[in-house]
Amino acid sequence: MKIPVLKQGEYLIASIQEAATDADLQLLLNELVRRVGEHRSKGVIVDVTVLDVMDSFAARLLRDIANTVRLRGAETVIVGIQPDAAFTMVRLGMTLDDVATALDLEEGVAYLDRTLKRKRGS
Amino acid sequence: MRNQSPAGSSMTDPADPSSLMHDFDVTEAEISARKAFLEFGAEDVAKLQSLKPLAQRYATPMIEDLYRLFLAHDPTKAFFRDPKSLERVKQLQKEYFIGLTEGEYGTDYVERRLKIGAVHERIKLVVKWYLGAYAFYLRTVSRRIFDEHKNDPAKALDLISSLTKLIFFDMGLAIDTYIAQREKVIRAQQDEIRELSTPVLRVRDRLLVVPIIGLMDSARAYQLTDQVLRSIRAHRAKVVVLDITGVPTVDSAVANHLIQTVQASRLLGARSIVTGVSPDIAQTLVRIGVDVGKLHTLGDLQEGLVEANKILDEA
Repeated sequence: MKIPVLKQGEYLIASIQEAATDADLQLLLNELVRRVGEHRSKGVIVDVTVLDVMDSFAARLLRDIANTVRLRGAETVIVGIQPDAAFTMVRLGMTLDDVATALDLEEGVAYLDRTLKRKRGS
Repeated sequence: MRNQSPAGSSMTDPADPSSLMHDFDVTEAEISARKAFLEFGAEDVAKLQSLKPLAQRYATPMIEDLYRLFLAHDPTKAFFRDPKSLERVKQLQKEYFIGLTEGEYGTDYVERRLKIGAVHERIKLVVKWYLGAYAFYLRTVSRRIFDEHKNDPAKALDLISSLTKLIFFDMGLAIDTYIAQREKVIRAQQDEIRELSTPVLRVRDRLLVVPIIGLMDSARAYQLTDQVLRSIRAHRAKVVVLDITGVPTVDSAVANHLIQTVQASRLLGARSIVTGVSPDIAQTLVRIGVDVGKLHTLGDLQEGLVEANKILDEA
């Protein structure tokens, strides 16, 4: 099932569903990278609140999304990582050091607003 | 709900969560194993049933004797100050005494035994008096049985041996309830201590302070991580200050756990500041090769709070 991507102002928002497969995630990456250019989006939010577990494929893909989107000129923030998922990821060494994270969608938007303001201010 | 059949030969289901058998993990297989070990079989049931007329005849004088014993000793006397409750327990004892010869020793019987054990534990009637009362039962009942079968000592011995098996079966169950109740208390206390050992304090909106005091082991470190992560979500924390001033030493496992806590907190969107790293711990961390670049550390809790406030005010 295709993961829907919503456009909200300068941002694109994708909520990963529980049943998302590896293929769905790969499609999401393609879609986000394409639409960032199409809408000249400045930020991407990927919401993983419903995922109780995060396997290494999903973690790597989140990192790939962030890096690819950065090359396309936008910022990415991952929101809603659950405590159990976070702990498992860290134990498996998937710390996503170079990827921004936030508690939930609201925080993610606030983070992007701040980052963009800083970028534009300078 | 208990299944009560009108015939009175009701069966308590050991799987019933409201039963004590369920609480104390006494299954039907467990009951059978205990009886098998005591070599308690059908012939014992028959012999005990044959004692019923005798039991009925002597129940009242027996119980009176037993309570004379209880009342003659201060520690046991203390339990029977109220004459009304004394009458009530005497009646219960009588029922128990006659119940020994009913011939029904299934799950209902076990459930009743467990209940009595639990009550004794609750009123703090300790095991020694309880076992003393059983000794009294055994020796007085044995004397009566011998009196009854003066001309056939072999038969009397047989009857007494069946009764002994049943009484030991009862004692086993009752002592188990004593132990199980204590263990329950110990478990509850351990949980409480564990909760207490890592308080997560909310200092201002979106700021948590975790003072870690005392020796850390892996179990406690794991529990700390769990509690910190859950608290971050519950309080929507943005900054967490982990103060380890009160931690005397760490080993590599605990140090790694600390770093994992910091990393996992970041995945949830919170920044962690570690404060109060003692000279000893600092040296240990460097010696065991912890990647200290991953930790945002500050000298003491005060500096940590100043920094945390700065981060929150900027946002």
